[in-house]
Amino acid sequence: MTKILFSDKLDNCVERWKSAGLTVIGPVQRANISTYAAVEHAAELDFGLVLPDRSIKDLFFPQSEPMLRYTIKKESIDTDECLPPSGPRIIFGARPCDASGMAIDDPLFGWDYKDEYWFQRRNETVIVTIACTKADDFCMCTSLKMAPDSTKGSDIMLRPLAGNKGWLVEELTDRGREAFKTIADILQESSDPAAPLAVVEKKFDLDACVAWLQNPENFESRFWKEISMRCIGCASCTYLCPTCHCFDIQDEGDTYTGIRRKNWDSCSFALFTMHTSGHNPRSTQSARWRQRIMHKFNYFPGKFSVNSCSGCGRCSRQCPVDMGITETLQEISKLSL
Amino acid sequence: MSIEEQYRTRAKELLSGGAVKMVIGYGKGSNAKRRRPIFISSADEVDRLVLDDACITNLSGYLVSEGLLSDEKRVAVFLRPEGIRAINILAAESQLDAEQIVIFGFDVAGNEIKALKGINVEEFSDVIDSIKEGAPEAAEEELFEKIEKMSPQERFSFWQEEFAKCIKCYACRQACPMCYCRRCIVDSNQPQWVNTSSHTLGNFEWNIVRAFHLSGRCVECGNCDRACPVNIPLRLINHRMAEEVLGAFDHFAGTSKTQEPVLASFKKDDSETFIL
Ligand code: SF4
Ligand code: SF4
Ligand code: SF4
Ligand code: SF4
Ligand code: SF4
Repeated sequence: MTKILFSDKLDNCVERWKSAGLTVIGPVQRANISTYAAVEHAAELDFGLVLPDRSIKDLFFPQSEPMLRYTIKKESIDTDECLPPSGPRIIFGARPCDASGMAIDDPLFGWDYKDEYWFQRRNETVIVTIACTKADDFCMCTSLKMAPDSTKGSDIMLRPLAGNKGWLVEELTDRGREAFKTIADILQESSDPAAPLAVVEKKFDLDACVAWLQNPENFESRFWKEISMRCIGCASCTYLCPTCHCFDIQDEGDTYTGIRRKNWDSCSFALFTMHTSGHNPRSTQSARWRQRIMHKFNYFPGKFSVNSCSGCGRCSRQCPVDMGITETLQEISKLSL
Repeated sequence: MSIEEQYRTRAKELLSGGAVKMVIGYGKGSNAKRRRPIFISSADEVDRLVLDDACITNLSGYLVSEGLLSDEKRVAVFLRPEGIRAINILAAESQLDAEQIVIFGFDVAGNEIKALKGINVEEFSDVIDSIKEGAPEAAEEELFEKIEKMSPQERFSFWQEEFAKCIKCYACRQACPMCYCRRCIVDSNQPQWVNTSSHTLGNFEWNIVRAFHLSGRCVECGNCDRACPVNIPLRLINHRMAEEVLGAFDHFAGTSKTQEPVLASFKKDDSETFIL
């Protein structure tokens, strides 16, 4: 016997969590885009999406974050540190690739310096993930050795019952158990079986790709130029990616007073590694695309023993010129045969 | 022979005879609905070219890639009428030499492909004149009217909600053939003219700057609108600005390669005392 949360009881849960002081966040369609946003009622949530256009990264690492306000005076500089808005939150209905993306980035944000903006939000947020029963052409979790029900990064895993009646509940962490204590009496015991998971075809051989990338001879391969000819160098693939984490620090204001912000940045941009001298070590789009692949599947795992990709497929789904990580790794797979 | 086959044959002839060094066209994409830009430099590869109703992207922007045309060799490119207009503008703004561009013109009506006759940009002026007269599609017309009827406050809220979604990925700029500046105004940081932050104010600044820079230059190819990952209806802005420029200056962008850029030219007898 497992515990079940019936869909028609979800609104009661939302009420409970709200009364307990949690902000309830979930997948919604708003202003012609699907994203994760705060809701008042369960009816606002959309569980029919394969996955939202925007990832849950935005909730932990927003696109523009104030760090401090400053005023420069004759003798001194006044600063006023800005911390992220605090308060407990529950994300209900994350996808496994989004939840695991946050766990992939934890070591990065906690490596030499513990990023308090990231960890405060991580510690205050319960992630309730729903396993996927449908996938599209671009989903590729299985190619990254994950699955439509991977539990990495989740506090609770829900597996849908047949006929959208509800979800089987698996409590994974203390944080998850704590949040589900509030709704313990709403859950029911049942032996209903879970609906079949999405079938996600394996698209490339990850180990072969990684071996090819690690071979220093391939760094200057003609492959990079050929594969990235059509890349227009936007940041849509990095900004939608749940694991891309690059940022730039900018002062906004005049000479005397302003605000220091942490803004997203992307290795697709020509400006990304531009030196003040004007020299750019990655002066071509192909060098920038190589960086993107190398970082995700060679440098990042070299440092943190995990690939910087959860297989959500957004980079390919959204690319204006139909590129993406998938095609590149598929081609590398072929090269390494 | 289908147009796809005709164009493959023509591409083969041009490449094998050395008349062009490259053909920029469409190839199969990652699923049946998608086509992707491809670059063919060898006559043996022309069979990779695809031409059907999924070939939508305006490919003219690739022509101004750094160094592509600097050897003065010719390049062929698949273009719809909007793309052909873009060639005129790029030539008028001295970004390329139209003599170097061999056009494979086509248009899509429903799911039918129509070949457009001609090779050099001058030969397509009839096609361009005919779109000048054309009206936007009915569904869009309704939306335009709805927005026109809004009060300034309502319209402001509409755009505020839309621009709040912007993440400053600059996909709109990168996808646009007219956004060819090697260093965009928003990337200039000595001084920093425009905030880099993508908060609502910064997003307004960016989108308004871009709308002005594209006024009288945009060909309404829709590349920016389709590229925007957060579905901001950029086409509404483009269309509104195009109407404005047409009404105020009788200027329709991209009619010829010698057309003067509307916001970069002036007349001594201008009735205005102030020129923006
Ligand atoms: S791969 Fe696509 S989405 Fe990514 S930078 Fe290139 S064009 Fe943009
Ligand atoms: S690289 Fe692509 S598939 Fe991997 S996590 Fe990022 S957006 Fe998703
Ligand atoms: S892929 Fe590029 S943008 Fe993403 S984390 Fe790596 S360097 Fe940064
Ligand atoms: S602004 Fe948009 S529609 Fe206009 S030319 Fe540029 S990409 Fe095309
Ligand atoms: S493509 Fe869309 S999200 Fe990206 S910068 Fe342009 S308007 Fe903003």
